[in-house]
Amino acid sequence: MRLTHASARWLGDLPIALLVGVALSQLVLAQRADLSPWSGGGFGMFSTTDAGSRRHLHVFVLRPGLERELPIPPALEQLARKARVLPSEANLHALALEMAKLPTPDPGPATAVRIKLWRTRFDPETLAPSSHILRSLEFSLEDAE
Amino acid sequence: MKTLSSALHGLARMDVTDLALRLTLLLLLLQPIGNWRVSPFVIVLAGGGLLVPVLLRHPGTWAWLTLLTGWRLFLEWPVSDNHTYLLCFWCLAVLIALLAEDTAALLARNGRLLIGCAFAFATLWKLVLSPDYLDGTFFRVTLLLDPRFEGPTLLLGGLTSEQLESQRAYLSQHVDGTLFQPYRPPEPASFTRLARMATVWTVAIEAAVAGAFLWPAGRGLSRYRDALLLLFCITTFAVAPVAGFGWLLLALGVAQADPSGQRTRALYLATFVLILFYRDLPWTRLI
Repeated sequence: MRLTHASARWLGDLPIALLVGVALSQLVLAQRADLSPWSGGGFGMFSTTDAGSRRHLHVFVLRPGLERELPIPPALEQLARKARVLPSEANLHALALEMAKLPTPDPGPATAVRIKLWRTRFDPETLAPSSHILRSLEFSLEDAE
Repeated sequence: MKTLSSALHGLARMDVTDLALRLTLLLLLLQPIGNWRVSPFVIVLAGGGLLVPVLLRHPGTWAWLTLLTGWRLFLEWPVSDNHTYLLCFWCLAVLIALLAEDTAALLARNGRLLIGCAFAFATLWKLVLSPDYLDGTFFRVTLLLDPRFEGPTLLLGGLTSEQLESQRAYLSQHVDGTLFQPYRPPEPASFTRLARMATVWTVAIEAAVAGAFLWPAGRGLSRYRDALLLLFCITTFAVAPVAGFGWLLLALGVAQADPSGQRTRALYLATFVLILFYRDLPWTRLI
């Protein structure tokens, strides 16, 4: 199969159009949805300290009168990584549902999962680190059932 | 050394398209795609394309590589590295070029514009969009915190291992109130100079590469595009731990280089080998 001259001409520009389209959408997601500039195909790597791997994620499982922070197990690391890089409600919710399934020594079923995502900024003079909340969401498990 | 040089010149006589395609397949073998659902198929296709001549230019090989690299992006979105996007777009460019009448010209055009656009966006992020690049914060923090830069930081930044550890302890604090460790160990002047130099050099060379590759071919800055891309690869991948990106840039670079420029192609090949040494030899510890 050979492309005609005309189809080769417009198809030939498709890879460039895809690169520019993906990079522009990455730019919008980074500005509006806190996508880490390092990720998403926009070539923002090595431009900022706000890499996904430098964001801190804390997950708390809630039961009536009790709140317990759980470490993220290796099996859920990929989900956590996605949530750190793009903290969309869907990504955080997916992580919350999986974290709620983890066993804890506490009695009774979990009622909610709270997720806090922090990013670190560094003072340009002293490099003093300071953490800032990017997202703090609570997902009710009763709604999910 | 003489044998290596004559081998490189022998390879440089190869058809430009064949060489660019082979380098792309070679990088897929040297830096296998991380996702286990995709990597076995990519390795088989890359190995087949390298060993069986008819598969090298077979559109089916590149259609499958485009699908698999795209599938990997879909599976991992949004956490994939940026060069995995470039790899997918490049496999698509190869497929389209192989189906067109003037394969070499279309491949050269896409190689040139993909590099130009990628570097233009990288420059845009550093110069305009990022809040902490131009003030030097990014490199001061990254050289200290990223373990992949430890060698160059110790060698060129004038820090001892103990000083590096205490800087890391200070910077790694998770602080939502007052600092646990308010006192920051002093930063050696040589380290500050290194971070400043890395900041200026990186954005300058990336802007120059973007300009050279997006400039109309054969005129002005565009005449220096091979030299600038090679300079970028030789300097950047000596310290930046992303060999796969370097090899991909070189494959794209070969595709767009002047078909009569045998010496330029030999330099591209030599740089490809150099990046392999950068990756596998801890050169900063050997010095």
